[in-house]
Amino acid sequence: MTFIKSLFAKSEFIVFLGLLVVGAFFSFQSPVFLSSFNLQNIILQSSIMGIIAIGMTFVILTAGIDLSVGSVVALSGILMATMLNSGVNVALVLSINLVFGITIGIFHGFSITKMRMAPFIVTLATMAMARGLTMVVSDGRTLFAFPESFNYFGAGKVASIPVAIIIFLLYAITAEILLQKTVLGRNIYAVGSNIKAAALSGIRTNRILTFVYIASGVSCAIAGTILSGRLDAAMPTAATGAELDAIAAVIIGGASLFGGKGTIIGTVIGVLLIGVINNGMNLMNVPPFWQSFIKGAVIFLAVLIDSIKNSNEEAAI
Amino acid sequence: MTTSALELKGISKQFPGVLALDNVSLSLQKAETLGLVGENGAGKSTLIKIIGGAYKASQGKILLANREVVFNSTQESLEKGISIVYQELNLIPHLSVAENIFINRLNQTNGFVNWKKLYNDATEILSSNGMADINPRAMVADLAIGQKQSVEIAKALSYNSKILLLDEPTSSLAGPEIQNLFKIISRLKEKEISIIYISHHLDEIFEICDRVQVLRDGKNIDTVAISETDTNSIVSKMVGRDIEDIYFKEEHSIGENILEIKGLNDHYLKNINLNLKRSEVLGIYGLMGSGRTELLKAIYGARKSKIESIKLNGKEITIKHPIDAIKQGIIYSSEDRKSENLFFGNPIWKNISYLALQTGSFSNYNFIAHGSELAKSKDYYDKLNVKAPNIEADVYNLSGGNQQKVCLAKALINEPDIILLDEPTRGIDVGAKLEIYKLIANLAGAGKSIILVSSELPEIIGSSDRVYSMANGQITQEFIGEEINEKDILRYCLQKDDFGVSA
Ligand SMILES: Nc1ncnc2c1ncn2[C@@H]1O[C@H](COP(=O)(O)OP(=O)(O)OP(=O)(O)O)[C@@H](O)[C@H]1O
Ligand SMILES: [Mg+2]
Repeated sequence: MTFIKSLFAKSEFIVFLGLLVVGAFFSFQSPVFLSSFNLQNIILQSSIMGIIAIGMTFVILTAGIDLSVGSVVALSGILMATMLNSGVNVALVLSINLVFGITIGIFHGFSITKMRMAPFIVTLATMAMARGLTMVVSDGRTLFAFPESFNYFGAGKVASIPVAIIIFLLYAITAEILLQKTVLGRNIYAVGSNIKAAALSGIRTNRILTFVYIASGVSCAIAGTILSGRLDAAMPTAATGAELDAIAAVIIGGASLFGGKGTIIGTVIGVLLIGVINNGMNLMNVPPFWQSFIKGAVIFLAVLIDSIKNSNEEAAI
Repeated sequence: MTTSALELKGISKQFPGVLALDNVSLSLQKAETLGLVGENGAGKSTLIKIIGGAYKASQGKILLANREVVFNSTQESLEKGISIVYQELNLIPHLSVAENIFINRLNQTNGFVNWKKLYNDATEILSSNGMADINPRAMVADLAIGQKQSVEIAKALSYNSKILLLDEPTSSLAGPEIQNLFKIISRLKEKEISIIYISHHLDEIFEICDRVQVLRDGKNIDTVAISETDTNSIVSKMVGRDIEDIYFKEEHSIGENILEIKGLNDHYLKNINLNLKRSEVLGIYGLMGSGRTELLKAIYGARKSKIESIKLNGKEITIKHPIDAIKQGIIYSSEDRKSENLFFGNPIWKNISYLALQTGSFSNYNFIAHGSELAKSKDYYDKLNVKAPNIEADVYNLSGGNQQKVCLAKALINEPDIILLDEPTRGIDVGAKLEIYKLIANLAGAGKSIILVSSELPEIIGSSDRVYSMANGQITQEFIGEEINEKDILRYCLQKDDFGVSA
């Protein structure tokens, strides 16, 4: 009994129930929904968003925000495409791409910790700058025709399972272990829950903050690789608005924008919930404008449930 | 003939797993100051929060001027003329003092805040209550904790309420500020304001209260007139047994210098020279703003400062960040539990182990060995006698005194050689205080060195082998053995000019 009670106290479990309910609804509406092909499709489409959202989870756990993710994914794709098209070796391109993600993270970390700038503003600026650069570098054109070995990450399969899904799952598991089982992970939560107390407990808070923005930058670089490989193309407008979906997934998954609260499993369920809703609405031929409205309403509902739950736990003073 | 201002009848409060109040009644007369005392976790704050509308009683009635009332929010109780200074400060850090005082009541003209009037009103309230040294334009986050507490008091007074509830209002105040508060209270008495005053300082209760009510384990024990009782009898009612001593010091031999600091300066601290010996309890006493907390933080690396030389066991060391200090066996425990020490929203065991985790105590290659982490935390949780449903409980839900014990557990779990304790008994009841004094003495006896900062002079005198007085960011005098006495120490803390000689 107490086990069941403690389950319901976890926001992850409630979102999971939500996922089941929404899934059940769509499976009644459309016979195709539950087919293994469609389910795999949902997970595949969720994996790019999922990787971005995992990076975002790290950032939000420290009470930060990274608005640049969509633009950084696009810029990563365009940079790689440019290099590939001028014949640079695939392994080298992939490594440079990771360094690119790390560099973005270090830039954010430095601005926030040393220059004392607000995460919201810094990443908003990067969002605009990175998007601008994609246009400059690509001249506004879509770049395509990449080597087979590059596309493997986005379009390849291992024993009928898409490589992208495997990367996503491994990435999620690694991130969750890091957060729940390591000192570094504990320190990320500590910084988000009380940064002054964290510093006085000996945590190098600046390093932790820089780390989470690097995690987000690297996530974008990985997402950029998978996205370009899957489409065999890099578009300057790719991943527009991805920051909103990523933030929504993290919050639906039970994290708090005030920091210190949230898990990767929650985020993954949040991403899947958004993926299921997108997919189900497509199957039901819901017009795109309504899709956007409904997604917004789901986010509102998720945050509402969380806030009601919190206010039951303690009377506000 | 007295008239009742506020009456509680048969109040009970059930939290999940804890019966915080069990059939408690209370009556507060007009113009009366009622002391409310009891051990940590006795239910004092819960009672205040019920009167203030922050919590709902599970049972019982509240009568205001003989009429039953129900408060669904803090706002409703405020509107009925009840102002409260809560034990935990509730100011908004990134707003100014003036905005905090007048929050929800910002004076507006056509929808725009009238800043001039706001600052004038705030200045007026601060200066008429003897707090003129606080700048109404200062951001609350930049204030020292004692000043924050003064702002809370000013804010509560600004409502001109008929009933004022004060939950440990002096926990971060030093001598003169406390005297100032007492002056305010006697003025309020003349204006027929009724006050409930919670404090672990019984001397304060005896100085300003008319009657005192004792709670224990959420139950009424007794209510007596101040003139008909004494400290010992109150203490034994609080703890349910007799306590002979309040302070505790043990004879132990003091060793060599373990820490020597020369020429510590920053924009506030001026040329501090300090030494600490093995097995020594070094007290530092100073008034609010004397720089005592700043000094501890500077030693700990939590505050930028220039140090000519800092030697640990005769060897020069550098401390640039708290982690450097922690690795050398130096630990600081902050006075400000809520904003600098605890991680609210997290279980007790996590709070206890955070600091030890940073030195790799329970980890292999960064992976946490949860079993040993939990076991060691439990060990210190038991050692310090934390009262809570269990070690999984959120520290946020602990009573103030028990939160303080968690802070101490967190500092001690790493078995440091040098412990910088900033107000370690803030908000702790008499019985638990004695435990902490014994703990300090035991640590010293076991070869540890302690710097004890406290705004309670008797506590400094009662536990220290040696004392430094501080004023205006300087150490003004050193007192050893027989020289340690209240009068002399105070004299060296009150000086306002700069003639202070460093020890
Ligand atoms: N929100 C809450 N949820 C669960 N338990 C609570 C909550 N608030 C208080 N308690 C418990 O109720 C009891 C009474 O707490 P309260 O804060 O009233 O004590 P107190 O007398 O003010 O103690 P102190 O002197 O330490 O401030 C404690 O056991 C505390 O752990
Ligand atoms: Mg209390």
